[in-house]
Amino acid sequence: MADRSSHDPLAGIAFDRLPPAGAYGAPGEPGVVASTAEPFVALVLARPGKAASVVDRLHRAFSVALADRPHAAIEGNTTVIGTAPGRFLVLSRTDADLFGTLRAILGTDATVTEQSDGYVTFDVTGDRVSDVLAKGALIDLDPVAFHVGDAVTTVIAHIGVTLWRSGEKSWRVLVGRSYEASFTRFLIASAAEYGLRLENKGSEGRG
Amino acid sequence: MRIPCPYCGERDAHEFAYLGDATLTRPDPAAEDAEARFHDYVYLRDNPAGAHVEWWYHANGCRQWLKVERDTRTHAIAAARAAREADTPAGDAA
Ligand SMILES: [Zn+2]
Repeated sequence: MADRSSHDPLAGIAFDRLPPAGAYGAPGEPGVVASTAEPFVALVLARPGKAASVVDRLHRAFSVALADRPHAAIEGNTTVIGTAPGRFLVLSRTDADLFGTLRAILGTDATVTEQSDGYVTFDVTGDRVSDVLAKGALIDLDPVAFHVGDAVTTVIAHIGVTLWRSGEKSWRVLVGRSYEASFTRFLIASAAEYGLRLENKGSEGRG
Repeated sequence: MRIPCPYCGERDAHEFAYLGDATLTRPDPAAEDAEARFHDYVYLRDNPAGAHVEWWYHANGCRQWLKVERDTRTHAIAAARAAREADTPAGDAA
């Protein structure tokens, strides 16, 4: 693991390469720990008038407490995020044929689009996560206002994201895959004062 | 300026794209004077000081079109509704 506790933790890292795993910023126990994952992702868009039926079908299939509003319903390996009226992102850690699963569940009530190659997620945990995310977002992410299960689609540091609070001190941020390096740089720069431990695949290959 | 998106909640204006006057009605392209009407529809704009009804697109949020009533002098927003539900006659968005 690289040690980048200098005043400029991004020094020498090409802007279009994924920064390597390691400790960044303030030394000691990190205020924020971030790791990336590549869950299976599909987009569900209810056909006109079918939003309630889609909510019901997803609820019965995945046991998620779902409604047609911006929130994260998490059950087991499945997460369903409301991103617009009648539109849901479904994430699975295990179902490689999420598209087929959803087609079978939803029938003609919704269109389903395979999105797995489009996104990465950042799992961000620690005492200072809301302070870090607040540096890039224009919405109130204080834990007093943004509760476990709340989800938003918004912009962080000019990068379009969907983020939700998955636990008391854990958050997930869904970012377009080609923005992975940029969002990682935002995390490093913004978490430097609290210390960041980055656990990712490193800079080999994808830029 | 913050716009109260009916789905997402109150959001900064920079998440939105502005289209403009929501009181205009697209002319009938088959009409005799369609060319003149389209000229007016595309190019001529009122510039009211005060209440205005406008289209805003929540590009960096729910990606839905909104019909927003905004006071052009103060940026005070009286109402914002999903365009898909705002099918009342032009200019009658109250
Ligand atoms: Zn919205």
